[in-house]
Amino acid sequence: MKLRFSRKTLCIPYLVFLLFFVIFPMLVIVFYAFTDQNNHVSFQNFLLFFSDPTKLSTIAYSVVIALITTVVTLLIAYPVAYILARSNMKKKSVILLLFVTPMWINFVLRVNAIRELLNWVGLLGEANYFNTIFGMVYDFLPFMILPLYTTLQKIDNSLYEACADLGGNAFTALRRVTLPLSMPGILSGITMVFLPSMTNYVVSDMLGNSKVTIIGKFIETYFGTDWHMGSMIALILLLVVLISTAFTGGFKTEENVRGTNL
Amino acid sequence: MKAKKIAVIAFSASFLLPSLTMLSGCASNDIILRVYNWEEYIDVGGEDSYAATEEDPEPLSVVKEFEKWYEETYGASIRVEYSTFGTNEDMYNQLKLGNTYDLVCPSEYMIMKLAAEGMLEPLSDEFHDPEKENNYYAQYVSDFIAERFEAEFDIKGTKHKWKDFAAGYMWGTTGLIYNPSLVNETDLAEGWEIMLNPDYRNKVTAKDNVRDTYFVGLAIYHKTELLNLKQRFEAQEISRQEYTREVTRLMNDTTEETIKNVQKILLDIKKNIFGFETDTGKSDMVTGKIRLNFAWSGDGVYAMDLAEEKGVLLNYYIPQESANLFFDGWVMPKGAKTEAAEAFINFMSKPEIAVRNMDYIGYSSVIAGEEIFEYTLETYGADEDEEETVEYDLSYFFGENAVITAAKEQMNRQLYAQYPPEEVTYRCAVMDHFGEDDAKINELWTKVKSESLDGWAIAVICIAAAVIVAVVLLSKFGGKIDIFRPKPKKGYELVKQESLRK
Repeated sequence: MKLRFSRKTLCIPYLVFLLFFVIFPMLVIVFYAFTDQNNHVSFQNFLLFFSDPTKLSTIAYSVVIALITTVVTLLIAYPVAYILARSNMKKKSVILLLFVTPMWINFVLRVNAIRELLNWVGLLGEANYFNTIFGMVYDFLPFMILPLYTTLQKIDNSLYEACADLGGNAFTALRRVTLPLSMPGILSGITMVFLPSMTNYVVSDMLGNSKVTIIGKFIETYFGTDWHMGSMIALILLLVVLISTAFTGGFKTEENVRGTNL
Repeated sequence: MKAKKIAVIAFSASFLLPSLTMLSGCASNDIILRVYNWEEYIDVGGEDSYAATEEDPEPLSVVKEFEKWYEETYGASIRVEYSTFGTNEDMYNQLKLGNTYDLVCPSEYMIMKLAAEGMLEPLSDEFHDPEKENNYYAQYVSDFIAERFEAEFDIKGTKHKWKDFAAGYMWGTTGLIYNPSLVNETDLAEGWEIMLNPDYRNKVTAKDNVRDTYFVGLAIYHKTELLNLKQRFEAQEISRQEYTREVTRLMNDTTEETIKNVQKILLDIKKNIFGFETDTGKSDMVTGKIRLNFAWSGDGVYAMDLAEEKGVLLNYYIPQESANLFFDGWVMPKGAKTEAAEAFINFMSKPEIAVRNMDYIGYSSVIAGEEIFEYTLETYGADEDEEETVEYDLSYFFGENAVITAAKEQMNRQLYAQYPPEEVTYRCAVMDHFGEDDAKINELWTKVKSESLDGWAIAVICIAAAVIVAVVLLSKFGGKIDIFRPKPKKGYELVKQESLRK
C-alpha cells in the first residue's frame, strides 16, 4: 500500500493532543463532578453548590473582580494601542516591545516585584482587593494591548480622510470609525482578560495576602479535600466561560475577527 | 508539614526521577523500592551536604548510600524509585488513584486517616526489637518520641498504637516567630490571642491551611481551660501524663458548638491579621513587613538563620496555652515490600544518616543518637567567650546527662525551636485526623476564607451581570434595531433606504 500524505494528515498530531489533553481530562472532570465519594452517580454536588451562599458569593466576587479588571485594563490599553497604531512615531515597535517584554519575565518574579512595590507604597495588607485588581491589570495588560494594536493598525487611513471630508470631527471619527472597526480587537482582548482573571489566584494569594478568595482558589482548596466538589466548581466555571465567550463572539469563524495575529 | 514549595519542583521531580532511574537501566532482578516523600525532605548529597569532608567533598545522596548499604548488608541489589509530594492531600490522592508505593512519609493525621481506611501494612514485630542487628530505629529512636508513639487511636472500635503502623522521621512544633525589638513581652504573654490584638493589626500572619488555623482558633476558644490545666499541673494537682492528655482532648474538640465559636474567632482573626500565608511569612519577617508569624518550628529555625545573616534577630515562642506537636512518619501502604521498606526506615534512623537529613531539612530528627547530640551541641553550644550562658537540659530527648551549655539567648531561639524544654512539650498536643467531622471543618474554612455576601448582594450582582449582558447584546445586535441607529441628517433618507433594502 502506498502511503499518501494529504493535508489532513498534518492534523493528526494536534488531534491526538486534543484527545488526550483536552477531551479526556474534560471527561474526567465531568465524571468526578457528577459522582460522590463512593463513585455513585449523584447530583448532590450540583445542588450543594447552588444552595451554599459561600460558594455563590465567591463566584459573584470573582465575576466582579474580573469585570473591574477588564474595564480598567481596557481603559488603559485602548489609548496606548491607539497612539501606537495611529501615530507616525519612529521605532514604535520598540515601544510596543516595552509593553510586551514583561511577559517574558517569569510571572512569579513579576508578582513578587509588585508585592514589594505595594509594600513600599504602604498598600500591602491594607487594601487587599485593590492590590489584587492592580496585580491582575498589570499582568493582563499586554493581552489587551496586542489585539487592540493589531486591529487598530489595520484601519485604512482613507477612512479617516473620508470621515473628515464628510465633516466629521475627531470625536466623530473615534465614534464612527475607530470604535466600530476595532470592536473585534476589543472583544478578543476582553475574552483574554476577563476569563483568566477569574481564576488567577496566584495574584490574589500574593497581593491580597490570601484574604481575597476567587473561584480559582476555591477549586484549588477543594481539590485538596474533595475532588468531586472541586470538579463541579470547575465545571460551573467552564459554563460561565462558555456563556461569556458566546457573548463576546468568540465562536465567530469569519476571518480577522480575533485580530490577534500580530 | 513542610511548607508547600513551588509546584514546579514537585512536578519535575515526580516526573523526572522515575523516568531517569528507568533510563539508567538496571538488571531486571533488582528489588525496586518505591519511596514517596515530601519535597526537599532528604539529604541529596553534594558539596552542601553535612557529610561533605575534605576527603569526600561530594558525598552520595542518602538514597544512593542506602542502595550501597543494602547490597553490602543483605547481599541483594536494590533500586530506590524516589518521588515527592507537596501536600498530604496530594499524597493521599495519588494513593487513591492506585499508584503503588512501598514507603510513604505523611504527617500524623494523614497516617491516622490511612490507617483508619485500612490502607496501611503494619510494621513487623521484629522491627521494634532493639536487640536485632541493623534495627537502628528501635535502637536509636528518642524515648520522648517512643512514648508519644505508644498513644492509641481507634480504628472501627479496635485500639491501635501509633507504633503499629508508623516510624517517626521528623518532628516539630507550631509557634510564633517574632521580632523581639518590635513585640512587647507582655503582649506576647497573651499567647495565641495576640492574633486578635489591635496593636498588631496587619503585623501578624496565620497559616493558609485549615488544620493549623483551626488549632489557633481552638487554643483561643479554650484559653481559660488550658491555662487552668497548666496551673493545676504546676501545683502538682495532676500528673504530666494527665496534663498532656487533657490538653490533647481540648485541642481535638470538634463539637458543633465549638466549631461555631471557632469560626467566629477565626473571622475576627482574619480582620486583624496581615494575611494567610504558606511560604511568604519567613521572608516577610526578615524584611520587617510583619512582626509575628505563625510558624512551624523548622521554618522558624530557617527564618532565624536567614534573619541573622541579614542582621535581624528573630525569636521563637510556644504560647502558654498549647502548641501543636506534629511529626512525619514512615508508613507502608498495603502490598508494600515490607522487608526492604523496613530496611530503608532503619537506614534513615542510623544516627550518622539522620544527622545529614536533619542538617539538610532543618527539622528535628526523631533519632537521639550520639551524633545528633554532638551536632546539636556543635551548632548551639556556647562559645567560650560567651558572657551569659544557660544549662539547657535535653535529657528528656537524648537520655541522661544530655545538657548543653548554650548562650542565654538560645532560650528563645533556634535551640528552643529545635528542641523545646521538657516542660513545654507537656502542653504540646498531637492533632488527630478529624474523621467524620472533616467535612464540617472544611466548611468552616471556606466560610472563613471567602467573603460571605447576603442574599440581596448576590441578587444585586446578578442583576448587574444581567444588565451588562444586555448591554453587550445590544451593542452587538443593536445596530439592527432602528432606535439604536444613528439618525441620518436630512438628505440622506435615500441612502438609508438603499442600505435597508440591501
